Amino acid sequence: MADGREEKKQQFSGEVVQVVSFRLGSEEYGVDISQVQEIIRMVEITHVPRAPKFMEGVINLRGQLIPIIDLRTRFGMKRIDATKSTRIIVTEIGNKRVGMVVDSVSEVLNIPIENVEDAPEMIAGVGTEYIQGVGKMDERLIIMLDLTMVISGEEKQALEQVNEAVAT
Amino acid sequence: MSDELFNREEFISYFRDEAEELLQQIDADLLKLEEFVQTGETDPEIINSLFRALHTVKGSAGMLGFTDVQGLAHKLENLCDLLRKDRMPLSESVLEILFSGRDLLTELVEAAIGDQPSPTGVQEYIVKLDKFTAIYEQTAQVIEGHAAPQAGDAAAAPEQKEASPSDAEAFEAEVQRLLAEAAAQKEAQAASAPADVAQPAAVVPPPSATEPVAPKAAPAAAAAPGTAGASPNAEQKRSSIHQTIRVDIERLDSLLNLVGELVINRTRISDIANTLERLMADKASTAGGASSGIIAPLAKDLADSAALLARTTNEIQESIMKVRMVPIGQVFDRFPRLVRDVAKARGKEVQLVISGAETDLDKTIVDEVGEPLMHLLRNNVDHGIEPPDEREKLGKPRIGTISLNAYHEGNQIIIEVSDDGGGINLEKVRARGIKQGLISADDRLSDREIIELIFTPGFSTADVVSDVSGRGVGMDVVKRNIGRLKGIFDVDTSPGAGTRFTIKLPLTLAIIQALLVRVGEELYAIPLDSVIESQRVEMVDVRTVHGNEVITLRGQVVPLVRIAEFFELGGQRDPDKVMIVIVGLQGRQVGLVVDQFEGEQEIVIKPLSDVVGRIAGISGATILGNGSISLIIDVHSLVGEAYAGGKVARAEFSGV
Repeated sequence: MADGREEKKQQFSGEVVQVVSFRLGSEEYGVDISQVQEIIRMVEITHVPRAPKFMEGVINLRGQLIPIIDLRTRFGMKRIDATKSTRIIVTEIGNKRVGMVVDSVSEVLNIPIENVEDAPEMIAGVGTEYIQGVGKMDERLIIMLDLTMVISGEEKQALEQVNEAVAT
Repeated sequence: MSDELFNREEFISYFRDEAEELLQQIDADLLKLEEFVQTGETDPEIINSLFRALHTVKGSAGMLGFTDVQGLAHKLENLCDLLRKDRMPLSESVLEILFSGRDLLTELVEAAIGDQPSPTGVQEYIVKLDKFTAIYEQTAQVIEGHAAPQAGDAAAAPEQKEASPSDAEAFEAEVQRLLAEAAAQKEAQAASAPADVAQPAAVVPPPSATEPVAPKAAPAAAAAPGTAGASPNAEQKRSSIHQTIRVDIERLDSLLNLVGELVINRTRISDIANTLERLMADKASTAGGASSGIIAPLAKDLADSAALLARTTNEIQESIMKVRMVPIGQVFDRFPRLVRDVAKARGKEVQLVISGAETDLDKTIVDEVGEPLMHLLRNNVDHGIEPPDEREKLGKPRIGTISLNAYHEGNQIIIEVSDDGGGINLEKVRARGIKQGLISADDRLSDREIIELIFTPGFSTADVVSDVSGRGVGMDVVKRNIGRLKGIFDVDTSPGAGTRFTIKLPLTLAIIQALLVRVGEELYAIPLDSVIESQRVEMVDVRTVHGNEVITLRGQVVPLVRIAEFFELGGQRDPDKVMIVIVGLQGRQVGLVVDQFEGEQEIVIKPLSDVVGRIAGISGATILGNGSISLIIDVHSLVGEAYAGGKVARAEFSGV
């Protein structure tokens, strides 16, 4: 288990990690800036029926359909209505584009690589599989996300739904 | 490093396209040469064209390190060189060698690209080819003394000599010289026969020709500009192949997306201009403030340029849609060879007449339509056209004719494949259907239903399974592929006179007419080609069968699917009546219950991201004029679910 996390940390290269930081509830998260395509204000999201639960729907970004993930739902947090500060971070991983709904976007941070540590076993309901590491900036703790894991894992989600169905 | 890899991939994809085009060109040239053998005519330009095509394949393959392809192309090129220099007479046997060489080359190209396993028999073929070439090489050397030592050595012992740069140079020089020679000859001929320019499809008749070239697949040549252009010099050999550039279809799609966005913004600007103008008019009539004197002309300017912008964006949108269209000749080109081979194998004499090769349709459809057409043509040659002797007895010309015709009709393209053969023997089909257990002996079937049997998987009327057809695969593939392209299929047959297959396809799969409906808060699009009618039904007319809602429509029981329930959408609904869209698929009807009809519209289909995954009942999405998204309902899966899911048993529909 420890080895796996060690590998994740290794994925950061260079002296500093540049991350776009954003908030979900009281926690601060970060995604590698090279994976961020743009940040847009909340727009109308078209609901896609029968899609996985965390899939909020799709939006029209300059003629392209971008699927939107609600990160709160993805991480099992309480859903909230959009506010003035709600943003969609449009990311690009491989050739897949995905938007993530977050409470607010803070800033771009340069975190020295030595300040990035392995993720503890469990952080506020977010499974470690989504976490690449935790960055420390002064007193702040930035949870750095592994986007590949965030957007994939339909199988896992489907499994959860099956479990739910069995339970009820 | 990764850059280099990427570039190589790009090169390979270019090579694939180029090789495909050139191999078709080679086919067309070989077919023409075959005619020459029969008619005793000749045209050096055809051999030159063949030579050039092989040479280009060799060069490109060499660049990518596909040595097998390069080697074989080189040897075939040598053989053509002998033909060109008249050191070898054009004969059936030479052509057979060239035809099989061309096929091996195709397989080698596919193997090199990685699509196919490496072909067998290449070595054997090359040995045969070398032996064949060597005979003529020796004769040539004896006759011409030292006139052809380089070329002769290279061909006789290519394994050792191939790599020698001086040989290659000499060879290139020779090629250039011969091309120049051919060009000079060509010009001289062109001067004496000016009409050729206007009719590029016609083979340039040598001055001695007394009658036009007899049965031939002339239109195929029209679609192969390499021969048609009759290039005046060697420099043009590349550009004469196609006056086009290759563009990745994804780039076109992204361009189309951007234009869509432009269209939406244009609408907004027009709106702003209108509002501004109206405000100015109001203000002028009420107060006539000082500022309106300046702003009013500006508002008018804005309105004018908004109108101009509107026109330009519309034109751009149309042009890009047109760019996606390619002539169907791209597919037709490969058929003369196919028909020739099948006819030869089955001992038939067949000419293929192609027309409408220039008819445009969407690239994605062109790519898909080839396979079904191939099966149809095989079937025509094998089952349609009678053997020559039998035809003669029937008072028909020995050579059977298969016509392949394409034309536009409204928003569709029609492709007709017809033959003047024996027609479909309905009794035989029926008997075979009974024997294979597809129908029972006392089933009463209409002619149409009997013909339908042909398209059942596994059906075959052939008594003997041949390598051409008779395995029972083919016609069901045709039906399935045409269905997938949202096409319609029709068969006309008359005993003794022939059969005509008519295929109707939409011009593009990217844009369709759709009926927009509202369910809850969302708009959904239902492809109009599957919509039969829409109507409002009182709840009292909705009955239940096994707990499932159905309505009776003109004596037929139609099951209902409530979209809101199927998609698990919330919302309140009118308890007294329902809005129903009747959709049909292969004779099965389903009523989709929606909240409201919102009219028809032309929509551009976009796939949902694979991050979302496949969703039952949704086939894609579209962006509407106001920028909002509408999901497209997959009628196929909804109808399938309504029936296969046991909503209503099949038995309840028959006989009601």
